[in-house]
Amino acid sequence: MPLFPFFLRYFRRKKNEDTLHFKNIKRIDTLKVITSPAIIFVLLLFVWMLTVYFYNALPAFIREGLEVYFRNTWQAAEEASKEYYGLAAPIWGTIYTSIIAILIALPISIADSVFVVDYAPKKVKNFFIIISDMMAGLPTIIYGIWGAFVLVPFLQKYVMMPLYKHLSFIPIFSSPPITGYSYFSAGILLGIMVTPFASAIIREAYQMVPFTYREATLSLGLTRYEATKILLGYIKPAIFSGAILAFGRAVGETVAVSLVIGNTFNLSIGLFAPGYTISSLIANQFGNAFIYKHMLPALYAGGLALFIIGLIVNVVGLYLLKRWQKNVEI
Amino acid sequence: MSKYAIETKNLKIYYADNEIIKGINLKIPENTIFALMGPSGCGKSTLLRAFNRLLELNKDARIEGEVLIFGKNIYADDVNPISIRREIGMVFQYPNPFPHLAIYDNVAIGLKLNHLVRNKEEMDKRVRWALEKSSLWDEVKDRLREYPASLSGGQKQRLVIARALALKPKILLMDEPTANIDPLGTKNIEKLLFELKRDYTIILVTHEPAQAARISDYVGFLYLGKLIEVGLTKDIFEKPKSELTEKYVTGVLV
Repeated sequence: MPLFPFFLRYFRRKKNEDTLHFKNIKRIDTLKVITSPAIIFVLLLFVWMLTVYFYNALPAFIREGLEVYFRNTWQAAEEASKEYYGLAAPIWGTIYTSIIAILIALPISIADSVFVVDYAPKKVKNFFIIISDMMAGLPTIIYGIWGAFVLVPFLQKYVMMPLYKHLSFIPIFSSPPITGYSYFSAGILLGIMVTPFASAIIREAYQMVPFTYREATLSLGLTRYEATKILLGYIKPAIFSGAILAFGRAVGETVAVSLVIGNTFNLSIGLFAPGYTISSLIANQFGNAFIYKHMLPALYAGGLALFIIGLIVNVVGLYLLKRWQKNVEI
Repeated sequence: MSKYAIETKNLKIYYADNEIIKGINLKIPENTIFALMGPSGCGKSTLLRAFNRLLELNKDARIEGEVLIFGKNIYADDVNPISIRREIGMVFQYPNPFPHLAIYDNVAIGLKLNHLVRNKEEMDKRVRWALEKSSLWDEVKDRLREYPASLSGGQKQRLVIARALALKPKILLMDEPTANIDPLGTKNIEKLLFELKRDYTIILVTHEPAQAARISDYVGFLYLGKLIEVGLTKDIFEKPKSELTEKYVTGVLV
């Protein structure tokens, strides 16, 4: 048992730590023994999930190769040999809607942060922050139902229709908004949903700008607007990471999106065309995936793609945020 | 035009309900270094920020009385604080060049946003002038595009001085500019201030009586929000009238 002594050594109290005031202190740190499995559990779970996804997606990779990600065919057939699953449309839909979401969420959260930090009176300020944080924590189905019954009809009637009518020569406005369920609706809804996340990060960063820089901008005889622009430049990395983390959330959002995107295997740049996202695809197809021989691995492959996108996006976002926070400390 | 750069008339400053500055009458002549000294918390920085209306950043601050800059009351109703701040440069206790802007841009930003220069050539000239004036040019001329992080504390502080000078102010407010600088950097900055006083009126806040003695022409001693004594530096340090001042300059009172 060569491992055992290692563990014992790991869990032993360090010299001089807590031992000064106690004579008969135990040599093993019990609290350390109790708490350390938690982190091991999290790590194991991470490795386990990644393995499970990869292992289960493997048949799809073997059968179709990487085309499972790059082809837009979704052919469920009773005869197993005719089945073919390509995820190009949902992957495109995921990225497209998330980008729309960020384009909407970013300006709103920046404006929101500047207002809350610089202008809002103290009492209202906390109220705004609480509301915003609460919106971030609402169950997403609440957004989904509101989106499907209120937002989509509104957008279709007052935004999509006029844009299509007058500007349909522009490629992104060229698809007719027949039902209103579309990339556009999903993107707007996602934008509304991730705004609280992005603004939480940007607001914190904007609040952390040392007071001396605020004084410096104003001492140069700049207007509030010019000063704010400089300070926003100063927190640019934090804004960027806020955008990336919000993108990560938008990519993963499932129920609300599946209610408003139209769930169609479509690969279009037209904003008003219905589409699919990976997560809404998995949620919709999971129930009947067992009927078909090859569908489940394809769904796992989709899950793996999401896993990896989410991983990269979050790691990059958090890394940038940490690096910026370190730079800000005077 | 008054011959005083700054004149205050019964100036009182409150934070919420606390009276921080308790009625100050002060006259600061042009082209001198006026040192404002006093122990920590006596209101030096607060008083300094009343001279360029930077105090208004703090929502709790309230001001009574008058501050005249070259004879003009800057707290009159029709005065725009932004135009006041353009004429008064400020240097802070912590060297605070904008870390996300290159050295060149740190000096240029005020000029650019205030539309004080017409073209790139003029801008280059003015940036160079400001950096030369703050005797930093020789040290940074080859790395104008680098970020200020690569500069030492003293260099950063001179960059901030250049940033202020670029707007060609008439008055320079300095809030303990050497408090966070090493001795060599401090020496350089003091030498620089000595040269600058030919063209500018400098108000120097310091908590070091020795610094005031070294470089200032006039000294005001501020204690608990009151101006205890004002006069020529020589007089204050050699024959102070007030017992408090004597205690402070001899280091008994901290």
